Amino acid sequence: MRRFLKIFKVAFKSINKNRTRSLLTMLGIIIGVAAVIMTISAGEGATLQVENQISGLGTNLLMIQTKSEHKAGINVRMGRPIDEKDFDMLQKNSVWMPQLSPLVAIGAQAIGPSGYKSTMVYGVSYDYFYITSRAIESGSFFTEDDVRTAKKYCVIGETIREELFPGEDPIGQQIRIDKVPFTVIGLLTEEGSGGMQDMDDIIIAPYTTVQNRLYGHQRGYTMIMASALSEDHIADAEMEATELLRESHKIKDEDEDDFEIMTQIELQEITGNITGILTILLGAVASISLLVGGIGIMNIMLVSVTERTREIGTRLAIGARESDILTQFLIEAVVLSLVGGLLGVLFGIIGNQIIYKATSFYIPTAIYSILIGFGFAAFVGVTFGYFPARKAAKLNPIDALRYE
Amino acid sequence: MPLKKVIETKKLSRVFKNGEIEVHALTDVDMVIEEGEFVAIMGASGSGKSTLLHIIGCLDRATSGEYDLDGVRVNTLNKNQLADVRNQKIGFIFQSYNLLSRTTALENVELPLIYDRTGRFSNSKELAKKALEQVDLADRIYHKTNELSGGQQQRVAIARALVNNPALILADEPTGNLDSKASIDIADLFVQLNNKGKTIVMITHEPEIAQFAKRMLYLRDGRIISDKIIENRSTKAFAMKELEKPITP
Ligand SMILES: Nc1ncnc2c1ncn2[C@@H]1O[C@H](COP(=O)(O)OP(=O)(O)OP(=O)(O)O)[C@@H](O)[C@H]1O
Ligand SMILES: [Mg+2]
Repeated sequence: MRRFLKIFKVAFKSINKNRTRSLLTMLGIIIGVAAVIMTISAGEGATLQVENQISGLGTNLLMIQTKSEHKAGINVRMGRPIDEKDFDMLQKNSVWMPQLSPLVAIGAQAIGPSGYKSTMVYGVSYDYFYITSRAIESGSFFTEDDVRTAKKYCVIGETIREELFPGEDPIGQQIRIDKVPFTVIGLLTEEGSGGMQDMDDIIIAPYTTVQNRLYGHQRGYTMIMASALSEDHIADAEMEATELLRESHKIKDEDEDDFEIMTQIELQEITGNITGILTILLGAVASISLLVGGIGIMNIMLVSVTERTREIGTRLAIGARESDILTQFLIEAVVLSLVGGLLGVLFGIIGNQIIYKATSFYIPTAIYSILIGFGFAAFVGVTFGYFPARKAAKLNPIDALRYE
Repeated sequence: MPLKKVIETKKLSRVFKNGEIEVHALTDVDMVIEEGEFVAIMGASGSGKSTLLHIIGCLDRATSGEYDLDGVRVNTLNKNQLADVRNQKIGFIFQSYNLLSRTTALENVELPLIYDRTGRFSNSKELAKKALEQVDLADRIYHKTNELSGGQQQRVAIARALVNNPALILADEPTGNLDSKASIDIADLFVQLNNKGKTIVMITHEPEIAQFAKRMLYLRDGRIISDKIIENRSTKAFAMKELEKPITP
């Protein structure tokens, strides 16, 4: 035990005497570990966020749209537009979709008493609030009557309120959307800004009003949104909608649909794939940073091998045993990796926090990223700190002293 | 009264194999060095002086032959036992000092005591200070290696070789990197240590340094070709005077 303490002191002195080398070694480990933690956590954060956004889209959601095709990276609408006739037909005949709402989306400029903002205006029916399960903070939704009579009412999100009515109660106030005056009757409960898409940067108005006043002379809806009776019936609802629309569109058996239906489940699958790819990409970035950190450490170690081999030769010459040398270098490697690894974890977590503060993109620090980072630190430290020393300690003292 | 044999070798040989080429650095060296001797080894470059000293110092192993050090059959020992022999019985001094860089004189001298396994030293710091006093460096103990002159560094190395109170001091061209004055100081230091009873074996190229020893071995092509007692040994005072003599054309 006393011997071990002595060797421990030797190792610490050695770390301290070669401060530059020690710091550079640790720097490599710190960068590697921090990079791994930050990239893996970013992947986890993105996945979490996308999942939240999808489940936040609504309950048992179905979206019925005109068929579109990718052409040179652009979505081109192919079939006949989904319109009022389809909506009425579905509402009359559907068994599995108790809630249905048209959605007419346009980008518009909203002007309030003390500010303006470009935003998305969604024209919907009353059911929209149920389908998307959005709640009201103050004021109220518009009613089915308001929709039928195309009242110039709107419900706004928190982001819009901040821009148009800073520090004010917006309820009952007038705003202009593309020059058309609307009365604000409700304020949506904040969803929390979701990084990729701000769910509160939104104005909701009766679709009738939006179509008549803002939509110009375009035919049809952007989509029909529907809610299936329950999660188990999403597939039934999809089948039903397909059959009803094929029938009313008079599509022959051998022809394809001229519309497409996206369900929440499919959406989850697609985004699951995307975030999977994202995680793989970030993983690749992380491995590269590990490699870079590792090569940095390797360089420092190789450069110092000559000097250290002579040091080992000196120690052997004055009577150190091979095990004394190995203990010393193992302690040095472990201490450097441990301190570097801990600092790396610290910087990784701080980095995540900084990104969170700066972009409000929430990054949970994944525990397994800390484990991977630490494993890497230990591996690199021992591989590049210990094994060259082991080789040198096995030499004849005189060969170690003469090493060049 | 027969003196104790510190070194006894029988048919000691060392062959370096470098692929196809074999270098016979030492061939059948028989040698006895007794306690209290001060031996100078001379010989042309490449004659095997360092090879011999490394084997005596347990830094290298003989290819064949027998070697007893202080009554221990060294050529049968394993690695750890050899390390312990180096630690307990030998103080080795190199031409290039081989001190640890960025390390104080005191820490360098303490080093052999760190690896001591006999537990015979209780206060290593005190011992290291004493050893530094012996080599006249009491005022430099906290200086780092790079803050010392060549002669001072060699004296730190000598203190390091003395600190564990070894049976044998081995020095491979200890004055090879020093000027004449510093060389004489080191040689004189060896004489003083020898007077206190230390057995010393020293390689040198300089006849005037060899002249400080009691006995001289001469090597050629890995064999001892001459072994004689040195008459009219040099002293510090004499060597210094010689140094001041004007160079006669
Ligand atoms: N590691 C080695 N590998 C191969 N040959 C070696 C090795 N070490 C020494 N030799 C050879 O052994 C012979 C003796 O070398 P040694 O170093 O003992 O000479 P030396 O008498 O100390 O010379 P110098 O006075 O120049 O120091 C030389 O021919 C040298 O080339
Ligand atoms: Mg030599």
